[in-house]
Amino acid sequence: MTHYVKAWILALGLILAPTAALAQEAGPEPAATEAGASAEDTAGSDGLDPDLYTPMKPTPGIGMPVDGGIDFQQQFSETGKDAHWINNVILVPMMFGVSLFVLGLLFWVIVKFRRGANPEPSKTTHNTFIEVVWTVIPVLILLVIAVPSISLLAKQFEPAPEDALTVKVTGYQWYWGYSYPDNGDFEVISSMLPEEEADKRGEPYQLAVDNRMVIPVGKPVKLLITAADVIHSFSIPAAWFKLDAVPGRINEKVLQIDREGVYYGQCSELCGARHGFMPITVEVLSEDKFNDWVRANGGTVKGGGEAEVADAEGAPAETAADATGDENATETAPAEEAVAATN
Amino acid sequence: MTTIAADGHLDDHAHDADHKPAFFQRWFMSTNHKDIGTLYLIFAIVAGIIGGAISGLMRLELAEPGIQYLQAWASMHQGSAASMDQAYHLWNVLITAHGLIMVFFMVMPAMIGGFGNWFVPLMIGAPDMAFPRMNNISFWLLVPAFLLLLGSTFVPGGTGLGAGTGWTVYAPLSTSGSIGPAMDMAILSLHLAGASSILGAINFITTIFNMRAPGMTLHKMPLFVWSVLVTAFLLLLALPVLAAAITMLLTDRNFGTTFFDAAGGGDPVLYQHLFWFFGHPEVYIMILPGFGMVSQIVSTFARKPVFGYLGMAYAMVAIGVVGFVVWAHHMFTTGMSVNVKMYFTAATMVIAVPTGIKIFSWIATMWGGSMTFKTPMVWALGFIFMFTVGGVTGVVLANGGVDDNLHDTYYVVAHFHYVLSLGAVFSIFAGFYYWFPKMSGRHYSELLGQLHFWIFFIGVNILFFPQHFLGQQGMPRRYADYPEQFAYWNQISSLGYAVMLVGVVIFFVNIGWSLVAGRKAEGNYWGEGATTLEWTLSSPPPFHQFETLPQIK
Amino acid sequence: MDATQTSLSEKNRRSAIAAGMLVLGMLGLGYASVPLYEIFCRVTGYGGTTQRVGEVQAATIKTTSTAMSVRFDSNVNSALPWTFRPEQAVDKVSVGARDMAIYIAKNESSEPVVGTATFNVTPVQAGKYFNKVQCFCFTEQSLKPGQTMRMPVLYYVDPAILDDPETKDIKEITLSYTFYRSKDGKAVDPAISGS
Repeated sequence: MTHYVKAWILALGLILAPTAALAQEAGPEPAATEAGASAEDTAGSDGLDPDLYTPMKPTPGIGMPVDGGIDFQQQFSETGKDAHWINNVILVPMMFGVSLFVLGLLFWVIVKFRRGANPEPSKTTHNTFIEVVWTVIPVLILLVIAVPSISLLAKQFEPAPEDALTVKVTGYQWYWGYSYPDNGDFEVISSMLPEEEADKRGEPYQLAVDNRMVIPVGKPVKLLITAADVIHSFSIPAAWFKLDAVPGRINEKVLQIDREGVYYGQCSELCGARHGFMPITVEVLSEDKFNDWVRANGGTVKGGGEAEVADAEGAPAETAADATGDENATETAPAEEAVAATN
Repeated sequence: MTTIAADGHLDDHAHDADHKPAFFQRWFMSTNHKDIGTLYLIFAIVAGIIGGAISGLMRLELAEPGIQYLQAWASMHQGSAASMDQAYHLWNVLITAHGLIMVFFMVMPAMIGGFGNWFVPLMIGAPDMAFPRMNNISFWLLVPAFLLLLGSTFVPGGTGLGAGTGWTVYAPLSTSGSIGPAMDMAILSLHLAGASSILGAINFITTIFNMRAPGMTLHKMPLFVWSVLVTAFLLLLALPVLAAAITMLLTDRNFGTTFFDAAGGGDPVLYQHLFWFFGHPEVYIMILPGFGMVSQIVSTFARKPVFGYLGMAYAMVAIGVVGFVVWAHHMFTTGMSVNVKMYFTAATMVIAVPTGIKIFSWIATMWGGSMTFKTPMVWALGFIFMFTVGGVTGVVLANGGVDDNLHDTYYVVAHFHYVLSLGAVFSIFAGFYYWFPKMSGRHYSELLGQLHFWIFFIGVNILFFPQHFLGQQGMPRRYADYPEQFAYWNQISSLGYAVMLVGVVIFFVNIGWSLVAGRKAEGNYWGEGATTLEWTLSSPPPFHQFETLPQIK
Repeated sequence: MDATQTSLSEKNRRSAIAAGMLVLGMLGLGYASVPLYEIFCRVTGYGGTTQRVGEVQAATIKTTSTAMSVRFDSNVNSALPWTFRPEQAVDKVSVGARDMAIYIAKNESSEPVVGTATFNVTPVQAGKYFNKVQCFCFTEQSLKPGQTMRMPVLYYVDPAILDDPETKDIKEITLSYTFYRSKDGKAVDPAISGS
């Protein structure tokens, strides 16, 4: 019951919030009309030319949490896979090792040195050797952890290549804006979908948004992240990506996702009442389809040459998708292949 | 207040060390460290009930996806129909209040104000604290602080009533993002609580340095006293920085300064640096006295002196020192350069070493001992294991690169509840059972104490362990609602709360029963393992103790 | 008895005063952290703080043959009724060469408004190598209703950036500005705002 009330209020909020933003941002750029159009129609992306872009259906269990899941989400970026490996191969065994060792010792002393078993306590209070041992061994364990951890950090901080696509992410109370300065600087305003709408589109409620952030697959994308009001945090768990959006300053981090598909994230810094209701949806497309999406948004495609290279790399299924209107079926197909490959 | 001056006189007239002032003077103008300790403990229990009830509301709402109760509660709270946004704001008020209450009004008053006041003078053989009247002021500052915080939830704080910024009070959400007096009241509350703790810390340092019984050198002090000494220094160094930071928040809010406001050239990230410069030592402030209590308890019930006493004492000093140079690991995602992140990763991991020394020394203390497993001891054993579990997840979070995914998720929530709710709180219960008969003169029911432990232990593990899974799956903290994919473990977590609650009820039944019908406690009811000075006194100790100072060999 | 009592209370008094001084010291340090942080950022380029240099020093820098791109980013706070954008989003410059970028601001409201800008560069470790010789961000800007203003930034990238292992792989530096409405239109303390 409360669901309906909330959905209704949120729908209202969706209509009001971007319009307010529009008033604030009032500029001559084409983004304004784009954002305005999507604000009036909560199913805004439907407003894009369907010949150029139809939102992709997410693959269940990919790029989103799994109910009852205990591990991290499956990773689709290079650094994400590294970090996941460090966690599962080094850190988790370390945690179990240390915890079980301590538990084992506790059981041992409980059994061996209970009053019934050992009525006379010993008087030992020092043993320099053992004290050195339990200082040195943890140091060694930490060194084993530190080496891969530091190299992971170095890898995460590798700067973007020269021709990397730049997307500017702006956190607002309580929605996200994605603008593409290299593609005509249009801005996409991205708000959470109300529950019925998310259900209708076959997307998870509270993760799905009306207008997604779209990036090309397998390429480093430079994200410039800032906020308009208070601090927000942009997060995509399936890419091991999180960076705060701080008002008055810009942050930069490279995002690369190696599989086409839809990836969800949620705002990760308390930003006021609707902190829990400004999710992030990233759709990763082939270079070609990404360019189509840019055109559908009235943006300009950067350098024709790159697109052709991507064409050659792209799966054959994608060329088929260009010709047909039935994109959902064809688009999810290569996505599933990619999943199979990563497994 | 004149009674203090008259103290000496009283002794002349009545040589009865147990002569107590009248009720009002005794409890409202108290200068007796044991009475003030009792007041602190009662205060901590009241705050704990309120803070715990708030977490109950949160687990109830989070038991299943969707908003079930929040809007109704918000309507009740503000006395008129609440909008959905106001309901969400209430959520933020709840998480803020829970955090602040548990940190500043439950754990700190219980450990430092309660046990510290009661047992530091007893353990060092002092007749009282160095500044008994200041001690009284410390306590009575805490009461208005708490009332201000509670009161803040009933005045406007932005979207709804109350301050909804989280206990970290980050700018600019706490400045331009929270219009209304609620935030100012919450900040003033922190000022008062901070002043109370600073006065308390000065008192402890002076007492411990100057009032030890003849022969008790620093290196002969019980570890609990050591832990309070280190904690007091952490308070002295950390709290003024918090005071400065939140004062700047106040002036940013009310007087047009722009310390943390980018509009005037300030930097919101500076607030985070200042907050965590305080905030990281603060977590050690909350756990170090627990370390001290566990050391006393393990030694008592193993009937052995603490193993590696000097290592134990200086491990605490090391934790305190290193605790001041690791703060930015709370800020790994704010956008720092790679070198800074590497430094804070490495520095943070160093803390695992002195912590490891403590864990192993406790085990070594038991090794070769002759152990009995009375209630305080099972709590101490539970503490050692649960703190280890919380510690190893801390090592995971210390890795800046790994933290990119875990930061601000339920994994962090699970981590700090393992070290605080299962660590600090376990040690508080351990200390409570250890000393309750000493303080009250009455024995509690051993059966109920054991039952309390096991039910609480099982409950909190069901409550917090699944939160690691939620965090790894990506569930962010401070969310009133969540996608269905997080439903399973949230439901189990809420179930754990219910189990834990049963344990807490048993605890209160036990206290009530023992106060009414508990067996009278003798002076040293733990026997030969209990060697510190408080066990040389009757239970409860006389109103004025050690009028002739004890001599330490 | 009396003698020991007074000496104890004297000792206590001294300990408490020492502890109190420690508290005051930390409190002072807490407040001092604001200018200290400011200086720290300016000296180390922490958080992407850019460097400010004079003409004289700028003249001594040698141009290298290595090119680097500089991206210009702009933000306007919602309380400021202006538009504000770079004339050119990306510029290719030789490292060490002086270059000028133009931002264009327009007051869209019907009253005069004073604005003030904050800024930083990313990647943050590039801050100490990004030098501004001249910038509108050093002072407050006032625009009459409907007025458009071209705001220049004269800058260069220090060639030392190519020798620092932390920064040598950087291909593009982003310079970002956020314009805010000046508080009450008054001048903001330059010690805090400008660097």
